[in-house]
Amino acid sequence: MRRWKNRIFSLLVYGLTAMTVLVLAFVIYFIVKEALPTFQEVSVTDFLFGQRWMPIAYTGEVSFGIFNFIMATLYVSFLALAMAILVGIGAAIFLSCVASERMRGILYPFVDLLAGIPSVIYGFIGLVILVKYFIRAGIPTGSCVLAAGILLAIMLLPFLVSSCSETMLKVKEEYLPCAEAMGISRWYAIATIILPASWKNIMMSMILAIGRAMGETMAVMMVIGNANLFPHLLGKSESIASVIALEMGTAVVGSTHYHALYAAGMVLMILLFAINLIITILREKLIG
Amino acid sequence: MHWQARLTKYWAYLSMGLVTAIILFLFGYVFYRGADTISWEFLTQAPSGAVLGEEGGIWPAIVGSICFTATAIVLGSIPAIATALYMVFYCKNRRIKGLIRMVVQCISGIPSIVLGLFAYSFLVRDLAWGRCILSSGVALAIMILPFIEVRAEKTFHELPPQMVQSSYALGCSRWYTVWNIILPACKGELVSGIILGGCYAMGATAPMIFTGAVAYASVPKSLMEPAMALPMHLYLLLAQGTTSMDTAYGTAFVMMALILLSNLLATIYARRSQKKWKVS
Repeated sequence: MRRWKNRIFSLLVYGLTAMTVLVLAFVIYFIVKEALPTFQEVSVTDFLFGQRWMPIAYTGEVSFGIFNFIMATLYVSFLALAMAILVGIGAAIFLSCVASERMRGILYPFVDLLAGIPSVIYGFIGLVILVKYFIRAGIPTGSCVLAAGILLAIMLLPFLVSSCSETMLKVKEEYLPCAEAMGISRWYAIATIILPASWKNIMMSMILAIGRAMGETMAVMMVIGNANLFPHLLGKSESIASVIALEMGTAVVGSTHYHALYAAGMVLMILLFAINLIITILREKLIG
Repeated sequence: MHWQARLTKYWAYLSMGLVTAIILFLFGYVFYRGADTISWEFLTQAPSGAVLGEEGGIWPAIVGSICFTATAIVLGSIPAIATALYMVFYCKNRRIKGLIRMVVQCISGIPSIVLGLFAYSFLVRDLAWGRCILSSGVALAIMILPFIEVRAEKTFHELPPQMVQSSYALGCSRWYTVWNIILPACKGELVSGIILGGCYAMGATAPMIFTGAVAYASVPKSLMEPAMALPMHLYLLLAQGTTSMDTAYGTAFVMMALILLSNLLATIYARRSQKKWKVS
């Protein structure tokens, strides 16, 4: 009886795992399969580097170029990361080196609240507050890349803070007692020992955060203005994810437009995959 | 004090202050602006008005959101935890492990809108399920699966190895060890991971746009019907322009309250059940 239970349970675990992996692999396969027909109509270079996105022949020819969308996605993500890292590392220093054990117990879940807020709500608040301020500052319609960057930065904060403070905590426990025993003041030790020692891990969490930022759809779509333009800090633009979300509803199934949207999704997926690959390689090289 | 030290100190305090201020502001703003709209009628009636949602309540959206979330949790968490168990306690082959990890990472990298696209093309169109809760639920489940799996795997890894080894040394079978030692010891973390995953699914709009969430539907009776969902409703209200701002704030209020509540529950639950094995 017991042996049977053991066997059944093992089978269950094996089965479920196999199913999970198969389903996930199938999702990837399906996206690639739906994306590939695009390239029978449009060449890869035209698709990646073309600036004109005209899915329907209203005026002139149809053309599918997602260069601006790719640039907008990267621009917004890096902008957001630059802002988030500045605040994120600071908060991580506070959490790991200033807060007591009790305080950490309260502050960690508190910061995690940010991760729980749905992206529509970020978009909503961005619309009613950020965009209003940008209108007052003299930007027509108020939607711009910077607004999206700020929202995205707030959305990235919890991930950065929790992963950075986790590594810093470990580094602190290793080095701070020794540093203090040698008479180095606490804050000087934090600035010159703990921060540099955690740098590698901070880099990793930065790359991870970039991946998260690129896939974000709703919040960015609601404040970025959605115009196919090369991204400028205060100008409108459109990210890959928002093109898909906005146009999928109107694309005819099986048309080049439809396949092109899948191809755009695939490009996003490949970008993210490349990021994951970089992380894995870096982790092995830097940390071992 | 040395300037580097001083700079770092100000940096840390300022940043933490800013983060705290942002969080308090976000919740405070939504609660403050939404509080006027919240009433018993708003919570229990269907939306109405010349422009839909301008008047009336959000009851069908609340129920719809619960259905979407529950489907996603059931479909997503069981395979996720099974995969995590396999990765930590069953799999001996490093290559298979690496492969599984790669697939999971790849999926966690897929933007939610692309998952929505997949669910639309494959489930709604090819399998002809139509736009329904189940189609969206599958998309959401795929979305939260890596989230729960990674958390579960981390929890299993953090378990003191002596616990598992002692159990094997006493001659307990693997099944018995997993069921009576590992799962109970990790229960808090697992449940809180699932709750947070559920929050994530509840707030996601992108996977539902094409697959099951609609502008108006009555309270769903089966999983094969489309339904309303809170985030979708909020998005549509905003897309309508300024006429429905009050109900938009009300909807945001309800979502934020749900998030706050479930986060609180998850944290408390995780902490209470964690203490049991951290004593020694």
